[in-house]
Amino acid sequence: MAFTTPMRILPFAAAIAFSAACIALPFAATPVVNDWIISVAKLVVLAVSWNIAANAGLISLGHSAFWGVGSYAAVLAANKLGMPILPAVIAAALAGAVLGAALAVITGRLRGIFFAIATLALSEGLRVIAVMLVGVTGGGEGLYLAQSLRPDVRIVCVVMVCCAVGAVAISWVLTRTPYQYACRAMRANESAAQMLGVNPVRLRVIVLALAGALASLAGGVNIWYTGFLDPNIAFDLHITILAQIAPILGGIHTVAGPVVGSFATVFLSEASRIWLGTKGFSLLVYGVALIVCILFMPHGMWGAYRKFHARDKQRAVAGRAA
Amino acid sequence: MGLFPQFLVDAVLLGGLYCLMAVGLSLAYGVTRIINFAHGEFIMLGAYGAYLLAAHAHIDPLLALPLVAVAVALIAFLIFKVCLERVLDAPHTNQILLLFAVGLVLQNVVALIMTGDDRSVSTPYALTATEIAGLSLPHGRAIAFLVSLILAAALVLWLRRTELGRATQAVAQSRDAATLMGINVIRMYALSFMISAALGAASGCVVSFLLTVSPFMGFHMLVKGFAIVVLGGLGSIAGTFVASFVLAFAETGVAYFVNEGGGWAEGVALAVLLVVLIIRPSGILGRATEGN
Repeated sequence: MAFTTPMRILPFAAAIAFSAACIALPFAATPVVNDWIISVAKLVVLAVSWNIAANAGLISLGHSAFWGVGSYAAVLAANKLGMPILPAVIAAALAGAVLGAALAVITGRLRGIFFAIATLALSEGLRVIAVMLVGVTGGGEGLYLAQSLRPDVRIVCVVMVCCAVGAVAISWVLTRTPYQYACRAMRANESAAQMLGVNPVRLRVIVLALAGALASLAGGVNIWYTGFLDPNIAFDLHITILAQIAPILGGIHTVAGPVVGSFATVFLSEASRIWLGTKGFSLLVYGVALIVCILFMPHGMWGAYRKFHARDKQRAVAGRAA
Repeated sequence: MGLFPQFLVDAVLLGGLYCLMAVGLSLAYGVTRIINFAHGEFIMLGAYGAYLLAAHAHIDPLLALPLVAVAVALIAFLIFKVCLERVLDAPHTNQILLLFAVGLVLQNVVALIMTGDDRSVSTPYALTATEIAGLSLPHGRAIAFLVSLILAAALVLWLRRTELGRATQAVAQSRDAATLMGINVIRMYALSFMISAALGAASGCVVSFLLTVSPFMGFHMLVKGFAIVVLGGLGSIAGTFVASFVLAFAETGVAYFVNEGGGWAEGVALAVLLVVLIIRPSGILGRATEGN
């Protein structure tokens, strides 16, 4: 035990040091680097949120619904109530939690593809509502966040990184609680899970409220960075695509997967933008990456790394035995 | 003439178009049990095929239709061989994520080649209309309605009267029993996927002279297709026909009779989709549907 303890602590120490460095980095970095930090951090929050839902077998094709509601909640809290960034962001997370819980209740026992289609319809429906409710959302013309309230970009950066670290911490804590087993049982077979004493409705409400709160949080913080919102930005299909691509690329149903995947996704997008020039390429690259991952690497990059690692260890053990 | 008769005419014409858009989705699901998240992209490819032939060879979209449908069916065959065949037994969620990704690739390949600009095909009949007893009958939509009816009837005849059509139905009813009867199930999957894509492409050709053509047009059509197919009962062709007209009447009704209805009409399909999923996931004419 004395020998294994430092090995167990090491990854945590590394994670904490890395998080601290990320939080400190915006104060030293250039605007371009800050942009990358925000992109990765917001994607980590989204990806963790998507993964938490996917862990319970709830595949979302409408994460932009949460993102958009969070964005609007933050803007309205700031513009109408004069809230600064932190309370506005908390309001955004609360709005997302309410939407997630409501989605869980109204979709009842819909599973698999039916749940996925329902989320897709929800996000598109919210977009139509945002276009039509001109009095609240400004309609198609959009809304500007009150300029006087906006803090320095670096502050927004730090808030986003803190959210990302918090999201990963939450998903790690979840793997240490019995919820993990309940979720896994739900994913495999909801009826059987119910026989084992899992209350599927309650678990769904908890999972979707948490996932919704996180995704809305990401949207709510991001609006302080961009400062402008319209229905097409808020409920952009792009957000839905990003939220699912990062965990799948990194490794679905793991803690590290969404984080690895977020870095990889932002890298792919930036690399294709810089080297290939056109914006359309990044979506094409995402599509190809997603296809390759689902067909050949169903456990993602993190899964492939762990498999490689396990094989390495086995070989070492076999070598020592011989 | 009042508003109401004109509303009926418009709704019926729209319903015919919706039939053609959704029936491919329904057929592919009924046989393969895979919801084709790339169906909207087959419609988009069909529309671009019609646009290219019209712009460069001056071929009317209706004449181009068979050619475009065959070409898109071949693309669908490639997609089936390269991607779909490997995930036939995988969890449904993998299948839909894969097809979602295929759609994403198709959209962006077209966006790169053709640029994201909106295009349109102008035909002599696209903007003309006949007045009958005070009712206006737009020629473009009427032709679209006729083409849709003919193709839908052809599909039903093919399913009922031909050996391959009956084999397709057998696979839809029970994969295992069909295998035992000596039907090559994988080949039937490929065939129904291709026919579904061809029907999508055909509706794309028709849509090309009614709406603007853009690389990202498929998504909205996909969502409408979902609403129709879910409302009609997944996998039920007859249900799809009924649901197409229900949605068309609902949308046109909102556009005609509700204040600012034009904007809200866009949301009707989504509302229908959500309500049906929540209240009766098996749809109007659907059998019990499986989860997961």
